Amino acid sequence: MLPASLDEAVEALAATPGAVPVAGATDLMEAVNAGRLRPAALIGLGRITELRGWRYEDGGTAVLGAGLTHARMDRPDFAALIPALADAARTAGPPQIRNVGTLGGNIATAAPAGDTLPVLTVLEATATLARAGGTREVPISHLLTGLDPLRPGELLTWVRVPLLHAPQVFLKATGRSGPARASASVALVLDPARRAVRCAVGAVAPVPLRPLEAEAWVAGCIDWDARGEEGAALIDPAAAAAFGEYVAGACIPDGALDGPEGAGALAARLRRTVSVLARRALGRALK
Amino acid sequence: MSSPTDISSPAELSPAGAEEAQGAEPFGLGGSALRNDALPKALGIYPYAADLWAEGLLWGAVLRSPHPHARIVAIDTTPALALPGVHAVVTAADLPLGPEGIPDGAPSGPIVADRPILASGVVRHHGEPVAAVAADHPDTARLAAASIRVEYELLEVVTDPEQSFNVPPLHPEGNLFRHLPLRTGDPEAVGEIIVEGLYQVGRQDPAPLGAEAGLAVPRPDGGVELHLSSTDPHGDRDRTAACLGLEPDRVRLVVTGVPGATTDREDLSFQVTLALLALRTGRPVKMTLTREESFHAHTSRHPALLRYRHHADAEGRLVKVEAQILLDGGAYADVSAEALAAAAAFSVGPYVCPNVFVDAWAVRTNNPPAGRMRGEGALQTCFAYESQLDQLAAQLGVDPLEIRRRNAMATGDPMPTGQAVTCPAPVAALLDAIADSPLPALPLDDPEADWLLPGGPGGAGDPAAVRRGIGYALGMVHMLGAEGEDEVSTATVRVSGDHATVICAAVDSGQGFATLARQIVQSVLGVSEVYIAPVDSDQSAAGPSARGRHTWVSGGAVERAALMVRHQLLQPIAANFGMSVELLTIADGKISSYDGVLGMPVSEALEGKELWATAQCRPHPTEPLDESGQGDAFVSIAFCAMRAVVDVDIELGAVRVVDVTVAQDVGRALNPRQIEDRIEAAVAQSIGLALLEDLRTEGGRILNPSLTGYRLPTALDTPDVRIAALLEERDVVATFGAKAVSAVPAVVAPAAVAAAVRAATGLPVGRLPILPEDATVG
Ligand SMILES: Cc1cc2nc3c(=O)[nH]c(=O)nc-3n(C[C@H](O)[C@H](O)[C@H](O)COP(=O)(O)OP(=O)(O)OC[C@H]3O[C@@H](n4cnc5c(N)ncnc54)[C@H](O)[C@@H]3O)c2cc1C
Repeated sequence: MLPASLDEAVEALAATPGAVPVAGATDLMEAVNAGRLRPAALIGLGRITELRGWRYEDGGTAVLGAGLTHARMDRPDFAALIPALADAARTAGPPQIRNVGTLGGNIATAAPAGDTLPVLTVLEATATLARAGGTREVPISHLLTGLDPLRPGELLTWVRVPLLHAPQVFLKATGRSGPARASASVALVLDPARRAVRCAVGAVAPVPLRPLEAEAWVAGCIDWDARGEEGAALIDPAAAAAFGEYVAGACIPDGALDGPEGAGALAARLRRTVSVLARRALGRALK
Repeated sequence: MSSPTDISSPAELSPAGAEEAQGAEPFGLGGSALRNDALPKALGIYPYAADLWAEGLLWGAVLRSPHPHARIVAIDTTPALALPGVHAVVTAADLPLGPEGIPDGAPSGPIVADRPILASGVVRHHGEPVAAVAADHPDTARLAAASIRVEYELLEVVTDPEQSFNVPPLHPEGNLFRHLPLRTGDPEAVGEIIVEGLYQVGRQDPAPLGAEAGLAVPRPDGGVELHLSSTDPHGDRDRTAACLGLEPDRVRLVVTGVPGATTDREDLSFQVTLALLALRTGRPVKMTLTREESFHAHTSRHPALLRYRHHADAEGRLVKVEAQILLDGGAYADVSAEALAAAAAFSVGPYVCPNVFVDAWAVRTNNPPAGRMRGEGALQTCFAYESQLDQLAAQLGVDPLEIRRRNAMATGDPMPTGQAVTCPAPVAALLDAIADSPLPALPLDDPEADWLLPGGPGGAGDPAAVRRGIGYALGMVHMLGAEGEDEVSTATVRVSGDHATVICAAVDSGQGFATLARQIVQSVLGVSEVYIAPVDSDQSAAGPSARGRHTWVSGGAVERAALMVRHQLLQPIAANFGMSVELLTIADGKISSYDGVLGMPVSEALEGKELWATAQCRPHPTEPLDESGQGDAFVSIAFCAMRAVVDVDIELGAVRVVDVTVAQDVGRALNPRQIEDRIEAAVAQSIGLALLEDLRTEGGRILNPSLTGYRLPTALDTPDVRIAALLEERDVVATFGAKAVSAVPAVVAPAAVAAAVRAATGLPVGRLPILPEDATVG
């Protein structure tokens, strides 16, 4: 089925038990090919053009269509709007995948290494879920943690992202130069109005993690009023390094390090990677 | 071997020739002719085996063992047979019985017949085929296969090759595929400097992008026709027939669309199962493996554990090399014994050392079976001996290039096997070529340059944490079968009117043989239009596309056949002019006499003629290595030198290979572009082994049988490959004086990358692939 409007799509979803929505199919077909999924019917979202773009709302919010492709989010106009999301989209797989893979698919799949997820978490985005006869608004983090999951018959239509107009960074470690899933990723944004730093760590747990204490601590280390050379906000390098350690320690608890031989070493290594990413992310945001 | 003078220089195009060749197509040997399949493959219109179709075909599917080691207590196929659409279910019981009159799964193998087509009694590795189904829909076939009930009794799983010596036999043939001791010189010799190392190489998979596929069609005479992308049509035909209890002439193998193979293609179990299903059902049967199955089905590179001790004098000259080499052959023998011979014989590398004491073993485990892969055996030891030389250089405080120069082998020097290297061994010249080659600039000095940091575009790379390293490596590998293997190939060349046809069963597996055959005939006969006939097993045998043999053996056969045709063509002309054939030459599409009186276009001489000849080529024989690893085991050897430049993010351990510069001993460059392509391909594959590729197992189970889990290099992981030199010192015994070019760069690249990472990080780097944790400092 290829509905041409949102209404048609939610109607079709309600009318066809077992029907599954499909956007770029980059996750869906992998599951079908591997025999993990055998949908009774498919509802293609590709013709719902309104979901493929974005708009502004109340001046301070961007409303992103679930059908935005990674390639589209990587373009300069979008990158000027939400740089961290553009950074994440730029690294979300090889070009063939990014040309068709969508924001909505990335969220609905909710893979631990989904690249947009830590960014949406740190931006405190919300999702609009539509079903026949109504919509509801859910924070992305609730959606991902399963606190308030996507229900059968529901379609993810919009993602609301509060605009910050301040530096934001997404960094992803993969261990290689070619396209790959993240072994760890860090999204970090500055919120100068609230004198806050927000940070989310991806790929190290089933959902992105927010090291809230580390965020609060480091916000206190930044001299928000001082402007260094080229207007950089200032932080002591030692504090930036300590922030990295703090974030890593919060996301990979000490208990993980005492795991069985291989697992312990893996956790130690992951902790180091997260620490480096968090430190670098902060450094770039404050540059 | 006689080589007529008219083909020793690349033929220039005459105006007449140019017309025939339609423009400036390169013509003949030495030119850079383009592959015929290049365009169709790039356009996606090249027909692969997976595209085959036959009216009324059924689909095959295989049930594989989920366990690495288990006894099969019972197999119940009734649930599968009960499914509508299922036409046949086969198990080991459907194959010819073993010598004792009981089913044994019709074991087969290139050296030892130890690998059953379908497991009988015992499964010895994860993914071993147990049963197969033919049904009218691929999904039905897979569902039916999955519904077969197999009762397993789990057995102890042996995954550590060092344990293999001390456990009860995993197979009636025992656990030791081969032990090769190599001893030469004085065991008591000691050097002033001693360096030791332990090296590990992981399991690289050929991971062919085209997964296994084929079609079997039953024949009215009770035989079967197999359409496969085989790289050894006659070997495959013979082994398939033997496993089915048929005469070889009842099996016909038609080679279709090879997707590019750096090793064997469809394994024997695939072929025989497919044929068996077709024979059982009387219908054509098609089978294509999923990506996951493909990882389970084909053999991978031998994981290796190597312990080395190098003794050197105060100047760094090698005094003694001691080594213990252990190859994990996995569950079945395949070509482990062959790989081991290369590992032991080349254990010192292209260096002179008077005293060598090596023990090499290839053993059976319950890991995935290992087999042929570019430079098998030689690659693993190259990483170890080159790492040792770097250690030696570091201890002596001399340059890595200098330590290699001091020990470099030259033509005439003996190898540790006692065989003198009689072919050109321009090792020192290769080193000079890479040493003199300019280094890539550091982008730090040029802010305009787009510096692709380790971690890739949009990655987390930080220039402040990036260190650059430069590493060097030398290596060697033999070409053609070794240790007494009978190497032979046959070819027919036919000329009718203005075009020629080559009939030779040498499969172009991507190595470019078809292009080369075309060039040979162009050079010998002056005919520009040369067709290469499709390959099937009704033709005379040419042997497998492996070990860099076709240029020499099949190229030699094509050349001889073409020369015979040339004689037939020239003889009547010579007789007419009352001169001998030797006084006529063919060049630039023209037949000329020594005195210039005759100048006849080849096309005119050939008008209305049908000429053909068949010829064989069989290089000089070799002998097996004896009980101390001594003997003239190899026909010829190719050498290569490489310099790798890497950038390492030392905090995250991400490595990017920036540049690889290659100097290679090619004997003679028959098609320079094709050689460069082969070198690039080999470097790309070996960078995969050095940094990314590892088919990981846990308790014998494959953990990452997918292209997401098994990381192949992409264009972003692959560096600029620069050719510093293709050294053309002709190997007088080889066809055209040319050496095989594909394997030796694959052998050397991992060692060069490891050396560069070592230089960048100061870390020891003792295992491949080099993971981020092996390249993280502090
Ligand atoms: C080779 C390859 C590399 C990849 N690399 C990366 C990577 O580096 N980083 C990364 O994050 N991801 C990666 N991916 C995963 C994938 O491309 C992304 O997750 C992508 O965003 C999925 O989007 P899609 O439109 O293709 O989803 P689809 O496959 O169409 O859908 C995925 C799931 O989401 C559901 N769905 C889709 N749209 C909606 C909607 N509007 N409402 C409700 N449910 C919906 C579908 O029903 C399905 O269950 C890779 C995939 C491949 C094949």
